[in-house]
Amino acid sequence: MADHDARPGNTDAGNKKADSTGWADHPVFVRGFLWTLYISCALAAGAGFIWQKKKPHFELEAFPVFFAIYGFVMFALIVLVGQHLRKLVGRSEDYYRERE
Amino acid sequence: MSVNSLLAFLDNPGIILTLGAFLTVLAPVALRRPIMLGVVAFSAFRLWGMEIGDSLAFTLFDLEIMPVQYDVLSRLFLVVFHIAAGLNVIYSWMVKDRSECFAALAYPAAAMGGVLAGDWITLFIWWELAALTSVFLVWAPQTRESYLSGLRYMSIQIASGVILLGGIVLVFREQDSLAIGTLSLRDGGGNFNIAALMLFIALGIKSAFPMLHNWVQDAYPKATIGGTIILSVFTTKLAVYMFARVFVGTPELIWIGAIMTIFPIFFALIENDLRKVLTYSINNQVGFMIVGIGFGTAASVNGAVGYAFGNIIFESLLFMSVGAAMYRTGTSKATELGGLYRTMPITLFFCLIGALSISAFPGFAGFVTKGLILDGAAEAHNLIIWLILLFASAGVLEHAGIKIPYFTFFAHDSGKRPKEAPLPMLIAMGIAAFLSVVIGLYPQPLFALLPHQAHIVDYNPFTAYHFVEQLQLLLFAVLAFALLIKFKLYPPEVPSTNLDVDWFYRIPGRAVLFAIIGFVVAAWRVVWGGLQKLVGSIVERTHRTHGPEGALARSWPVGFMALWTAVVLGAALIVLFLNQ
Repeated sequence: MADHDARPGNTDAGNKKADSTGWADHPVFVRGFLWTLYISCALAAGAGFIWQKKKPHFELEAFPVFFAIYGFVMFALIVLVGQHLRKLVGRSEDYYRERE
Repeated sequence: MSVNSLLAFLDNPGIILTLGAFLTVLAPVALRRPIMLGVVAFSAFRLWGMEIGDSLAFTLFDLEIMPVQYDVLSRLFLVVFHIAAGLNVIYSWMVKDRSECFAALAYPAAAMGGVLAGDWITLFIWWELAALTSVFLVWAPQTRESYLSGLRYMSIQIASGVILLGGIVLVFREQDSLAIGTLSLRDGGGNFNIAALMLFIALGIKSAFPMLHNWVQDAYPKATIGGTIILSVFTTKLAVYMFARVFVGTPELIWIGAIMTIFPIFFALIENDLRKVLTYSINNQVGFMIVGIGFGTAASVNGAVGYAFGNIIFESLLFMSVGAAMYRTGTSKATELGGLYRTMPITLFFCLIGALSISAFPGFAGFVTKGLILDGAAEAHNLIIWLILLFASAGVLEHAGIKIPYFTFFAHDSGKRPKEAPLPMLIAMGIAAFLSVVIGLYPQPLFALLPHQAHIVDYNPFTAYHFVEQLQLLLFAVLAFALLIKFKLYPPEVPSTNLDVDWFYRIPGRAVLFAIIGFVVAAWRVVWGGLQKLVGSIVERTHRTHGPEGALARSWPVGFMALWTAVVLGAALIVLFLNQ
């Protein structure tokens, strides 16, 4: 496959004038999305107190909001710790091109 | 082999698709894709007619060769391989390039032939054909980078084949049979069985074990848009299938798979090329399957192969959506994309379904089978592995569930306003998205394909507790993402190359290789130079004595010759006299 279709109109070269704000950038949408998320999280956490595993394999599973805390902490950990990997392994984009 | 046997041999997906690949090459350009789709459909139709337990065997050099062995495990992989092959044909409908069209059928054919193999020699042949046919997809862009990458890819794949062959020879020596069956990695004394270990490593290379994984990131993103999608499906999943067939219940696989689920998360986080992010996702996803096979319980094996089925569809869907963005914009780099939701809403919609599926949100494909793998860890009371798999689930959400759609379609506005993806791409993505949702909501057809039916009939993924734990895990992870973005703690994408294991063979390995080549050349020059001098001096001496000016080239008088003749005759007379 030609790696992309570069005919005018298919890329930014043939754009209509690029408008800056779309529906996803609209503050109402952003606020609505965030509030939906907050409420969903609250409902999921609350549901943990109602529906619990009858025969948990681990004690942790019996803790009603274990998965919520674990998901939040691990995600934050991945992002906050993982980004430092770039300092160790990050090189210029042409790193291999210049050496091969 | 009788005519009937030959016809039976030809009537299997591996052969049908291979013949179809050659037919495609010979066909007029306009007919290539329709023929490809027809060949895949015909192969699927023939598969439909096969019965569990069907097999074909013949004897060659006193060895029993079994090119076809059809059972419940091979059925599941053959079904999903046909789906993937068909989707790829539709997705790349605009591509008429002869070599790419050939590889788009011949490579899936090799994978399917490998799945059907009942003996190691047949597997080896298809194994190597998979390597040979797939490299054309890496080379298809015809750039220097893709050429070099293809060579590295080929070297590693061939190395895997050579190790496989070594293992086959040793297994045959031990068992006096080439039939593929379960093997134990260790003998009764707890020591490694070398034959099994070689096969284990060969499969490990193909399934991209940690430290052996980097050929995936090196080669796949350098292929064409459609090529990357095809590549993402077959090789690693063929290896998963073989692990399920041969090394099920091998405890070493549990930790290897667990590590596979973790390390790609961090590399995916900092990677700028979104197609490369998805290749790290392949490692992560295969890790889940390997863990399930390692536990070896009915639940975990059902989960592993069921997850492979779903993953092939929704991982392809993600590759397709990023590929569609790349097709329209010419790039798959996060720094150059963003804001495409304005003009590519349908592609965005399909991408979100892929993201929700791979993240295992309730109602989508990943949800119904990933739970089985986690249950395997829980039933084994292996808390650490269970926590690792949960951690990896949060990681999947980060790089495949959020990063892919967010940086492609939202994030910063790149200013690009491309047209929606072409119709064939939308159709392929639409089918993949439809299947992801159907499997998520109505998994019974998938469950009917799983190998351990006795277990699955009692399994209900839609329990309130399963919903709650999964929603808690994922929603709070999304909350963490939202807060990290809000407080600007999420790392910005940076155009960069991130070093991985391939650095060792691309930089120091290359330097060592060139040093060895330099040494060999120098040694050759010394040896060859010495030989040249020696031969030269012999020729010179010979020339000195036998040449036109040499002592032996002088013209001798006739009397001198007569004298020598008399001496020789005299000597002959003396010898005869003494003999009497």
